[in-house]
Amino acid sequence: MNVIELRNVSKFYRKDFWAPRVSAVTELTISVKKGVITGFVGPNGAGKTTTIKMIMGLIKPSEGKVTICGKDAFLPASRNGVAYLCEQPYLYAHLTVFETLKFAADLLALPPKSIADEIKRVLSIVELSEKSNMKVKELSKGMQQRLTMASALLGDPQILILDEPMSGMDPPGRRLFRQLFNDLGNKGKTIFFSTHVLDDIESVCDEVIVLSKGKLVFSGEVKTLLGRGFLGTEMVVSELKEQDIPILMQYGCVMGDSDGDQQHLFLPATCDLLKVQNFLFEKQTVLLSINRRAKSMEELLYHNSDAGVL
Amino acid sequence: MRAFITIAINTFRETIRNKVLYNILLAAGVVLFLSMSFGDLSIFSRVQVMADFGLTTMSITGLLLAVFIGVGMLGKEISSKTIYMVVTKPVSREAFITGKFAGLFVILVLNLILVGLVFLLSIHVLGSAIKFKLGWAVLLIIMEMGVMVSASLFFSTFSTPTLAAIFTIGFYICGHLNDLVGIGAEQKNNLLWSGALKVIYYMLPNLEHFNIRTQVVYNLGIPQGYIFTAVCYGVLYIALFLILSIMFFSEKDL
Repeated sequence: MNVIELRNVSKFYRKDFWAPRVSAVTELTISVKKGVITGFVGPNGAGKTTTIKMIMGLIKPSEGKVTICGKDAFLPASRNGVAYLCEQPYLYAHLTVFETLKFAADLLALPPKSIADEIKRVLSIVELSEKSNMKVKELSKGMQQRLTMASALLGDPQILILDEPMSGMDPPGRRLFRQLFNDLGNKGKTIFFSTHVLDDIESVCDEVIVLSKGKLVFSGEVKTLLGRGFLGTEMVVSELKEQDIPILMQYGCVMGDSDGDQQHLFLPATCDLLKVQNFLFEKQTVLLSINRRAKSMEELLYHNSDAGVL
Repeated sequence: MRAFITIAINTFRETIRNKVLYNILLAAGVVLFLSMSFGDLSIFSRVQVMADFGLTTMSITGLLLAVFIGVGMLGKEISSKTIYMVVTKPVSREAFITGKFAGLFVILVLNLILVGLVFLLSIHVLGSAIKFKLGWAVLLIIMEMGVMVSASLFFSTFSTPTLAAIFTIGFYICGHLNDLVGIGAEQKNNLLWSGALKVIYYMLPNLEHFNIRTQVVYNLGIPQGYIFTAVCYGVLYIALFLILSIMFFSEKDL
């Protein structure tokens, strides 16, 4: 079941009244499945933040439709059970940590009797229990981001929409957030988050949506995307007989170095691995090691084509 | 409703912690104190001068609060993006605008009451009886400032804080000069010119309807039903500005 859906969504801007229309997102159709952690990647200016803002009802799409659980994203009701965390911690400096969370809890219409316990719970998750009475302006940026995360976790939301949530955080903070995302994912929460850090996608996400210049480039499982970068298989075998080498080359194998009693082989992605393995087995050649060679996600996304992405 | 109250309380708390508020109040206190001695310089009685000065000070204080706090409130929320904390929750933009207005209006009323008390105390110190009419004058100043706050919110929904402040001050000046525009419209022979002035006259609110200083200072009679009509006039303008603010703000990309 899809919880977030964008159908042919476009967003156009004008820098000023007389300037021509500029497209930030063009005919974007994507969906986010329930209970899945979906990464949202793309270079700067790809339209990620615009898309997330449209999902959160902060901006209206120029064309197309955005829905959360079937409800128009511009309606306040669509944001029931939805938490949002953005790149920068935008908090009221005049409030304390507790007051900030109380304010958020009241806006979420949580039962008044449960608010104090709920605040305690979320503060302990983000390891800010000790800072409850501190003013927001006295907190470091990393702590403010943790507070924003605590605010997002109030009321146990089912959907979390995160726009580069770990931007500017220190390593312990990043570790805490990653762990938190994994825990939330294991609890069946839907998480949709944009990031520049591709390691986060590989380590946290089940699915990934890739955007470039406002257009969808890829949408699917992370492993499918990584599969696109599969280059071939590297093998190290015991010494080969002279007459076997041409046959292996016929199968598409590329001969590597031979050091003493070991022969390095590379089987490109187009090469039939099973056929080669059977051949080596028949020749009673010992397989000493086998490794997958693939492009990293960064290479796949940013260094692979004229467009720069995929 | 809970979101509306929460936003109003937060606005109230934010304003109460704003140093600008205390500076304006301090300035108002100083002016009121000085006005006690201005009476000696006038041909009128000290109490009359004091009353005139006091009511004008209250009106100007309200205007300054509406401009510096009212305009800054929404503009700052948008530019600093603290508004995201509210509108990304299941909260309507209507609740945000009306909550902001309520918080600002309550603080404005409390401040005008505070300045009003200092003003009445000063009159009492001068040995004059406190007239009931002064209360009506303060009530109408409060209504006028309600209109000003709603107007400042409206201007903030589509312009920068600086422009919104200019528009609000311009609106205050035009609102008080509206009577002159009406007179001008009557006197012009040119149909086009007269028509244009009439359009301006009817489009802009007449803030002089909230000014009964002359009647209070010189103890003139106030027509029956005038206060009620003026309050209704203010409420209608507040409602109009809030509706327009909501309409603009609902379409605004944040």
